[in-house]
Order: sequence, then C-alpha cells, then structure tokens
Amino acid sequence: VNPLIAPPLPFDMKPRAREAVRDLKLQQFVGNATHLKDTQRGGIFGRDFGSDYDDLRTVARDTKQYALDHLGELLERFIASAEASGAKVHAAATADEACAIALKIAREHTAESCVKSKSMVTEEIGLLPAFEAAGIQTLETDLGEFILQIDGDAPSHIVTPMIHKDRVATAKSFVRELGARYTEDPTELTMIAREHMRGLYRAADLGVSGANFLLADEGSAVICTNEGNFDLSVGGPPVHIVFVGVEKLIRGARDLAPFLKLLARSGTAQPLTVYTSFVRGPRRAGEHGGPKEVHFVLVDAGRVGVLASEKRDLLRCIRCGACLNACPVYRKVGGHSYGSMYAGPIGAVLTPELERAQGNASAGLANYPDLPRASSLCGACYEACPVKIDIPKFLMHDRARLRERGLSPKSEGATLALWRWLAERPALFRMAIGAVRLHARMLGQHEKTKDGERAWLKSAPGPGAGWTATRDLGIATGESFRDWFAQRDTKGGSR
Amino acid sequence: MRVALFTTCLAEALAPRALKATVLVLEHVGVRPELPTAQTCCGQPMLSNGLPADAAVLARRMAEIFAPYDAVVTPSGSCCSVVREKYAGLFDEGSADRAAVDALAAKTYELVEFLETKLKVDPTTLRGKSTPSAAPLTCHDACHLRGIHRHGSTAPFLAKSCCGDVRELPDMAQCCGFGGMFSTQFPEVSTALGEEKLAHVASTGASTLVASDTGCAAHLAGLAHRKGVPLRVISPAEALAESLGLLESKA
Repeated sequence: VNPLIAPPLPFDMKPRAREAVRDLKLQQFVGNATHLKDTQRGGIFGRDFGSDYDDLRTVARDTKQYALDHLGELLERFIASAEASGAKVHAAATADEACAIALKIAREHTAESCVKSKSMVTEEIGLLPAFEAAGIQTLETDLGEFILQIDGDAPSHIVTPMIHKDRVATAKSFVRELGARYTEDPTELTMIAREHMRGLYRAADLGVSGANFLLADEGSAVICTNEGNFDLSVGGPPVHIVFVGVEKLIRGARDLAPFLKLLARSGTAQPLTVYTSFVRGPRRAGEHGGPKEVHFVLVDAGRVGVLASEKRDLLRCIRCGACLNACPVYRKVGGHSYGSMYAGPIGAVLTPELERAQGNASAGLANYPDLPRASSLCGACYEACPVKIDIPKFLMHDRARLRERGLSPKSEGATLALWRWLAERPALFRMAIGAVRLHARMLGQHEKTKDGERAWLKSAPGPGAGWTATRDLGIATGESFRDWFAQRDTKGGSR
Repeated sequence: MRVALFTTCLAEALAPRALKATVLVLEHVGVRPELPTAQTCCGQPMLSNGLPADAAVLARRMAEIFAPYDAVVTPSGSCCSVVREKYAGLFDEGSADRAAVDALAAKTYELVEFLETKLKVDPTTLRGKSTPSAAPLTCHDACHLRGIHRHGSTAPFLAKSCCGDVRELPDMAQCCGFGGMFSTQFPEVSTALGEEKLAHVASTGASTLVASDTGCAAHLAGLAHRKGVPLRVISPAEALAESLGLLESKA
C-alpha cells in the first residue's frame, strides 16, 4: 500500500503539513476546488430545499442511525434477499480476510485481470496490492484513480481523489505511460483514457467495485458514479465482487431517497450523480448482460468495534466529502497530510478509531497523535455534514484521550493545569494577567495607535513561542479594564 | 434586569478597550452592566485541549458567579459559545451542576446578539452625537458563532446601525486560523489561513477589521503587524462605541 496513505506508524503529520502549506500548486488546486465545491454545495441546497435542508439532514441522520441500531437484523435480511437473488454473500472480519475471499474467488476463475471502479473500502483493505502480488492485473477505471494508479500516487480526497493534481500532470503521465500525444484538453484526455480502458473492460476476468448503500429489503447494492465506469466493470467481466463496509446497510429502497438527495449535492453539488446503479444477483435466464456470478463481501475491519463505542455516530458517514471541502485545515494541508485514505475532518476521527477497533486498544490514537489536534474546531465540518456527525465533538473527545494517555505535549498540559489552578483563585489570576501585561510593557516594542498605546512582543517564552514564530503579540498597555471600571463606579461618572 | 459583564480572561489581558466599549454601548441602550469580580476563565482552553475535568471545575465556578444575574453579556464570541454549547456536555443530565450550567447557558449572550435578540434594539436607532465614520470597515465573525446561529450576523447589524461603510468580506465563512492552541501547535497552517484572511480583508479596501472574538483579533492583528501590513483590528463593541461617539479613536 502506498506510504502516502499508509505511512510508518506512529504517524507524524507536521512535516507533511508544513510541506503542503509551502506547495503553491497544492494550495492552488486544493484551495480552488474545495472552495468552489463548498460554495456550490451551499447554493444547490439553498435553491432546491431552502429552509427544509435541515429537516432533510435530520431525516437522513435518523434513518442511518436507525439502520446502525438494527444492524444485525438488517444484515440477516440483506443476506437472505441477496442469496435469494443468486448472489453469494461473504463476511470478512478483517482486511486480510476480505482480501483472502477475493483471491479465492479469483483463483476459482483463474482470473488474471480485473477492472475496478472507485471504492474507499478496497483502499482500506489493500485489495490492489494483494491482487498485484497474486499476479492479477488490476485497472482502476475511475479516471482520477486511474491517473493516480499510473503515477504511483495515492488518493487525497474521498470523492475527488486527484484533487491535488491538474491537467498538465495528467497530460505528462499519459504521454509517459500510455504513449499518447501531449494534450491538456480535458475531453481529449478523457478520450485517451477511454480508448485505453475499453478493451480492458471486455477482456477482464473480474469486476470489482464498492457500494454507496446496501439495501436490506432488496438484497442489492447502490453505486453512484459520474463516469459510468461501474456499469462497464459490472457489464463486461463474468464475475463481479462488491466490497462494502457493513455500515452501508439501510432498510431498503424505501429509505434511499433522502440519501440520494443529499449525497451528490453534498459531494459535488449535483442533483444526482450521473449514474445511480443498482446491483442485485447475477444474470438471470433470458437476460443479455450482467455477470454470471455476483459476490458481496461485507467488510467489518473495525466497524463493529466502532459501533460498540461512543463514536458510533461516525458510521453514519456516507463518504460525500463535504467536510473535506469545508475544512480550512484540509484546504491548506491537502489529503496526504492525514496519512490515511480518509483525509480531512472525518478522516481525523475515523482513521484512529478504525485502527483502535481492529487492533489492540492501545493503538489508534497512539499511532495518530496529531490528527485530533490538527483542527481549529471551527465547526464548518459539522455544518456541512449531511448526516449531522458532530466531528468537532469527537475531535475534542480524542484530545481528552490523548491527554489521559500522556500522548500530548507535557509542557502544554502543565501550562493548562497552572492556568486552571490560577483561575480558581481570582486574586492570583488577576495578578497573572497583570504580569502578562507587565511583561509586554517591559519587553515589547511600544507603538502609539489610534486606540491607545500598545506593546508588541516579537518573541514569547514557553507555549507562546509557537505564536511568535509567525506572529507578533499585541497587548494594550494602558489602564486595565478593571481599574477603569472601578474608577467609574466610585466617581459615579456617567453611570 | 441585572446584567453581568462576562469579560473573558483573554480580553482582560489583551483587549481592555473592547470591554470598555461593551460597557459604554450597553449604557447607551440603557443597561448598566455589573462586573462580578471573582470571574476568571471560562475553561475553554482546558475543554478544547483534552482536560474536560479541569474545564468542569471552571464551568461550575462560572455558574455560581453569574447565578444572581438575569443576563450575562460578553464581547467574545468563542467564550460565549463554550458556555452556551459545551458546558452541558461536562455534566450528567439531571445533576445539579447540569441544571446550573444550563441556566447559565440560557442567559448568556454575545454582545451584538444581546442587543439584537434580547433587547430587540433596532440598529437604525443606534445614532450618536457624531456622524458615522466614513472609514470603511469589514467584518469577520468568529467560527464559534456558528454554534449559536449568529455566524454572519455582525456585519448586517453594524451596517444597519451607525457604522457607515461596512464592506462584505469575501469567504467570511472560512476560519481565520486561530483555533486556540491550534495556532501554536500548527503555526504554519494557522498562519497560512491567517494570511488568506488578511488578503481577503485587503481586497475589500477596508483598513479596519471588526473581529468578533478576542483570540481571532489577536491572531490577525499580530500577523498583520509581523508582516508590516497596516490594519486596525477591533471588536464589534468598539466599532459601535466609536460610531456612537462614546469612545475616542484618534484618527
């Protein structure tokens, strides 16, 4: 698996974040795309739903939560319906199990080639490296994922995986890897990829995809794409495998509408994705298309553990990517700074939690100590979330776990403890504030402003050093507020 | 109505003028705020940095100190949102502490919110002795105002009152990059966001920025100062007090 999304652990986010902030191309590509999508998201919801938008989100939240609360029952129903339609259903407790199931199916069909549409869970379980190791040539058919694949790059956004790249890079890659002529025209680039892929679709032994929703009543999976590549990957090869996290289950088509209304609007500001495809069992007698075998691999890989934890709300996530687009930090550091296939706000809470739930309980946060801290807690993610996951709450929760386990900087903890101790002692606290102001008066650079005199600190001790690394600290040097207030009180003044 | 001023420790340390302005504006609309002297810190730094038990100690103090008052008003957006949104989560439902912090949350207001929603002050009536300053200003709301559904409401209020030329800040919704200790933990990211905000401010042509949180104001003012960008950063209270002729600005 690419070290960009599976780095050595424990993962240190800071060097990647620092580098990303200095990367002007990344700033431009990611900044522009996220701002645009976020603005368009607000626009389309306003236009199509107005003040009902919040109610729609509430319905989606409750519907998904209901499904999670009844997961066992829905699983049984899904398995029964899927098997009735002739599909085979497999349960994978771990990533390795999921890969092993796929390899077994591939071996049974002596598969040598595979066409794959976009799927986060296959990134998560490392399916591609497993297939490559087994000699199964696998083609990513989502255009963005394809470009990343030929570049040996990794996705940096849940929905727009190559958000950190542009046409110029794509043009060069197509020249280098496909022998194409150089063009930056998006239509021509798409045609080059299309020509390259069409034959491979027809020749492939195996099709692989993820799923956006699993319908328990119908025993089918719903896949939302914009390129139609899923339909080709399921239409050509004789065998199709759907990999899907168990949290994707909902009751059935009767519950699907709010999610379809929300998913594409939240992710890409489209009313619907261009294709909304349903997969049920294999080709039936008299049908002309479709695979002869359909497998559903239901992946746990920590999800059941998350369900049993206080972070169960995270399983409501429909992977729309809206929180990434809305997040000021994601916009600046890009996806690879999160060291996971799940970047941005949702990734910051989901990555350590999935790891904790799959491995030993002491891992998780210990392997990703920066992720909960890499947020200004601005709340834009919560506001953007179509299923109302309170991500800032979980970030704060994780910060507390980090502190409890001694995984946060000690000096910072000591400062905060002193601050709290002083805050219980008003007289001392006032003296401390006075000392800060005195410190500034003595050591700061004085400046007369329209609003009175101010002292500027260019360097501060202790935790303040992080502040003055890039900023000055301005402190008003005049009379303290309390002195002013007390004086007015005694004089009567204008009061 | 007994109104208490919730000063916040950051404003006492960094921005006494914002607090003076808050008192002057409240007096202008006929409210005489009191200053409970035992108040210190609301616990936001502990709460945001993984020390909820320490934050709970301070939350309990806050509820006690402000218990005698009918309303609690603060010029600092983020401290306000902590009391309003976050205190409840520190205590079990049904406990006495929970009831106390819920009562505090129900009567705590950010200054502009207090004027607009509690006192129902018509902003167009906020006219002082002097004519409104012609100097254009622009307004950045603290992200924390999202949680109390006030994000983006400062600028319209100031524009309707006597603040003259209030210019729309492009991409106001994006965080300025302060984020409490985030600003020292990820200084490069924090600064990059701050620089983007300053660029947007510059694009408006305004030389005064109104920021509705003391921390955001200190971050942006400190960044502008380090970069040698002439920018005045004030609170909404100061903008109102100046326009009403209650507070001097030696322009």
